[in-house]
Amino acid sequence: MSEEIIITGFSFLFPFLLLMLTVQSVLRRLGKSPGGWRPAVILGFFSALAVTVPVGGLPLARWVASLNANFSIPLTAVVLHRVWKNASGTALLDGNALRVGWIFGGIGGVVLYPMALGLGPFDPYSQGWGFSSLFVVSMGLTVFLLVKKNRFGVVLVFCILSYNLHLLESSNLWDYFIDPFFVSVSLAALVRRFVKSKNRRDNRMEKS
Amino acid sequence: MNKKFVFILILLTLLLYARPFWQWFQAKKGAPGPSFHVVSALPGATNERPFMKEEFIGPPGAMQVHAASMAELGDGTLAAVWYGGEYEGSKDTRIYFTTRVPRAPGEEGEWSLPRGIVDRVSAGKELKRYIKKTGNPLIFSGPGDRLWLIYVTVSVGGWSGSALNVTVSHDRGRNWAPGRRLTLSPFFNVSELVRNNPLPLTGGGYVIPIYHECIGIFSELLWFFPKSDGKGLNYRKTRLTWGKRFLQPTIVALSPDSAVTFHRGHGVRKNIGMSFGEDGGETWTAPGYIELPNPDAGIAALLLSDGRVLLAYNHHRETRENLSLAVSDRGFRSWRRAAVLEDTPGEEFSYPYLLPTGDGSIHLVYTWKRQRIKHVVFNEAWLHKQVSDER
Repeated sequence: MSEEIIITGFSFLFPFLLLMLTVQSVLRRLGKSPGGWRPAVILGFFSALAVTVPVGGLPLARWVASLNANFSIPLTAVVLHRVWKNASGTALLDGNALRVGWIFGGIGGVVLYPMALGLGPFDPYSQGWGFSSLFVVSMGLTVFLLVKKNRFGVVLVFCILSYNLHLLESSNLWDYFIDPFFVSVSLAALVRRFVKSKNRRDNRMEKS
Repeated sequence: MNKKFVFILILLTLLLYARPFWQWFQAKKGAPGPSFHVVSALPGATNERPFMKEEFIGPPGAMQVHAASMAELGDGTLAAVWYGGEYEGSKDTRIYFTTRVPRAPGEEGEWSLPRGIVDRVSAGKELKRYIKKTGNPLIFSGPGDRLWLIYVTVSVGGWSGSALNVTVSHDRGRNWAPGRRLTLSPFFNVSELVRNNPLPLTGGGYVIPIYHECIGIFSELLWFFPKSDGKGLNYRKTRLTWGKRFLQPTIVALSPDSAVTFHRGHGVRKNIGMSFGEDGGETWTAPGYIELPNPDAGIAALLLSDGRVLLAYNHHRETRENLSLAVSDRGFRSWRRAAVLEDTPGEEFSYPYLLPTGDGSIHLVYTWKRQRIKHVVFNEAWLHKQVSDER
């Protein structure tokens, strides 16, 4: 199978999962449970159909790719986790894994984007091609998380696996780790956690 | 996760990281670092008569045209591309291609009728995504008379939403392979544009000046390594400048290890920028300014046979209404304005592109009043005469 077919095929995965998650969320809001295998299979079938049928000359998935062709593996994993949880009630990623994921996305974004967009002479994005300190650091982090039995370590294994298989259009390792959406979601989750824990602390102090 | 599963995953991780390490190690071991192929104008015979010729490429039309570039094939055939449409950034823009095949060795032929080779519809089909418009094209030739075309497309927004794509022709421009997107920015892969000449590398491949134009505005280098079959491709990108002061670099190799880059100035001080690289282009000095003005407009540079540099640029700080040539001294510290090719108040003459050819000629193409692509051919003898006449 040619590289181009693999890349194009993989680009359908994220929009497919995102559509499933969106419909599941709408069902929840309408007070209907999206749980159970049968609804999940039916929803999966229609979501697959929706992202592959051409609309205005392009499948929906490729309209999404027009905006962003490189959805990171952690973001895909988080969406898959949510879809899976809605369907089965079991979690692929536990709280610890998600917490590490948000920190990973937040720090990654803060390190990468300002400098890659022109702040300072060093471009960390250039470290994602070939082999560099980025590879050494990410390998160390992956092994550390696996030793700690943190499931985000498994997500990082999928990142380097996808990089080797060249599943994304990008040949830069950074794009397998983070994307602007994952960074935004991570920062939002971190801020939410910070505000929540601050409120809890404030409440505890008020009570005492 | 049980211990056995963790062990297997750690082993898998090490194996998966070993692959890129091994590829990098083999590449490092097998070849020295990048070194430039020094491209310069060929010296003419000492008794060569000065010549200069001007013409337009393509018939006049109602559309606006801009950003021409040019390449030479092995038999002296010239190929040129530019983009045109109702206006810059309109949805009907397409990239036009034309060739000029020599009638006989040393005898120039006629330019073929320009034909569109990429537009938003064809690019959308090939790249399998929505394309709003096309922009700057860069054409260059490679081994086996392949023609490479790197071109800008925009899916969302203005030029800051640009991305670069590449296609290749194996039959001198008659047919072009489906375009392929280059991923060069982590932020939605936008704001990467191309303009000026690539520089061949001695070990194969090219270093191509590109630039980023979004929150930051800066010059970059695209290291471009096509595989011998013309299908596979490796590439990476390195930084030339940062901040918001310079863009649209043009690169001139001085030796296999050293090069000088000139930059379109974007800052408050409206001058052309310059920086040096001494280690095969991996690191560059912080850019400084040369004495020549620049109204935030494209420039082109070329190494002359005597080691000096020729610059085509707009000699003005505000407008693009003149197009001039300047020649440096050997240290690039002082510049002498050699010729004024165009000077009409209120008009635009911009985006020069210089190409030395095998017959010793220097070709210059540029945007003429946004209406036509003008082609000027001269030799070093003519240029030297202009410099001495200016004295």
